[in-house]
Amino acid sequence: MSTQTGRSPLAENTVVDVDVHLRIPLEELADYCDEPYRSTIKRPTYTAVHRSGWDRYMGGNIQKESLPDAETVYRKVCEGFDVDYPIINAFPVLASVPEDDRAVNMMRAYNDYLLDNYLDEYDNFRGLLSVATQDPEAAADEIDRMSSEKRIEGVYVLNSGAHLPLGHPDFDVMYRAAEDHGLHVAYHASAGAPFARDFPIQDSAINRFMATHVLAHPWAHMLTVTSLLVNGTPEKFPDLNFSFLEAGLSWVPYMMFRLNKEYGMRRREAPLLERSPEEYIRDQFYFASQPIGEPNDPRHLERILDVVGTENLMLATDYPHWDFDHPDALDRHLRQFYPEETRAAVLADNAVEAFDLSI
Amino acid sequence: MGEHVVVSASELSEGDRVVVELEGREVAVFRLDGDLHAYLNWCAHQGGPVCEGALTGTYESSYDREGNEVSLSWCREGEVLMCPWHGWEYDALTGECFSRRSVALPSYPVEEVGGDVVVTL
Repeated sequence: MSTQTGRSPLAENTVVDVDVHLRIPLEELADYCDEPYRSTIKRPTYTAVHRSGWDRYMGGNIQKESLPDAETVYRKVCEGFDVDYPIINAFPVLASVPEDDRAVNMMRAYNDYLLDNYLDEYDNFRGLLSVATQDPEAAADEIDRMSSEKRIEGVYVLNSGAHLPLGHPDFDVMYRAAEDHGLHVAYHASAGAPFARDFPIQDSAINRFMATHVLAHPWAHMLTVTSLLVNGTPEKFPDLNFSFLEAGLSWVPYMMFRLNKEYGMRRREAPLLERSPEEYIRDQFYFASQPIGEPNDPRHLERILDVVGTENLMLATDYPHWDFDHPDALDRHLRQFYPEETRAAVLADNAVEAFDLSI
Repeated sequence: MGEHVVVSASELSEGDRVVVELEGREVAVFRLDGDLHAYLNWCAHQGGPVCEGALTGTYESSYDREGNEVSLSWCREGEVLMCPWHGWEYDALTGECFSRRSVALPSYPVEEVGGDVVVTL
């Protein structure tokens, strides 16, 4: 992967990548589905998961990568990026599936596929089970079903295009199941079709992918964080940890401090909270580095990292998506600004703690 | 340090490129607009293999305040080097980055000597 010779500084460290994606072909997924969903997904004229038509790859000039099998994950992520433990998600866009019952069947299929084809193949692979947010009860059942799999470390929740804000009490059954089984909850946002569900009016008025892509991820996370705190979800489930993938870090200070301010003025509207929003965020929330911000003055990123807290920060590449970060995009700042023990925490230890990783 | 023959001149036609490893560095030589250009194959963004990317064009735009009009034109076709990792654009004739004015690809002296293309590191 590296185009210049020389040993990567990451080779000496334990590295956990908390966001590695699959793109599972629907014709292969169909074999893991029950009828009638299998036939529905296999129908060639039917777009089972709606995808938007944006020019994501700049006319094909940005490479479109995929990880079609476990060996490719090992070669490109573990060997290419010096990642010791990739935490793999199937990246299903279940919120875009129009029939709730089909989304639930596909949810189970994605999880079985992930186990069979990836997590069972290499000892150092770890995974997140996916849930369909259309049906929180079914999501809870799926968490129960998958919880005995030792390489499943958490629950992957797409929070773009979700049907209700994710702190809504309807989801408590899902969070209770995750807490009962010691599983982490990871929220992942997405541009494209899910963003169009969240913000249909704005989406229809945007005609460059850059605009939708910049906005989609932080908006989804801002809604989720707000919903979780106003509804008291971290107070209801104090043993649960939450992480936020794919929006970087710079949005976090703003939300932390604004939520503090609103909580001071309107405490009775979030009566379950017994501490400030910032305290819950610092205690139970973790943030993945990708896409790392690119200020013109790198010292400004150090300040963001300090405010968010390096103890709440985890490395993520988002590989193989087009906007992935090479691990060095974060690590070069860690090497420059922090002592080795802080660097080691961000590269691995924080993820071990957040996911209670069995490594 | 030193001079390196990277390819014979006849093998590098107009619009061609070659990527070679010299002294532990990947270096690319392009022949564009009749001139040779040698750059490090290392994107300033995140180290992607920029010199293996597409030679494409880009958009330029300007705003006419008086007429309240924005003009958009596709230009520099074949002269914009785009990194295949994340799309950073560089002027293939100078190595300068289009989105970061202070950034440029490291370049090296390159010339034809006795029918060979020679890069000096």
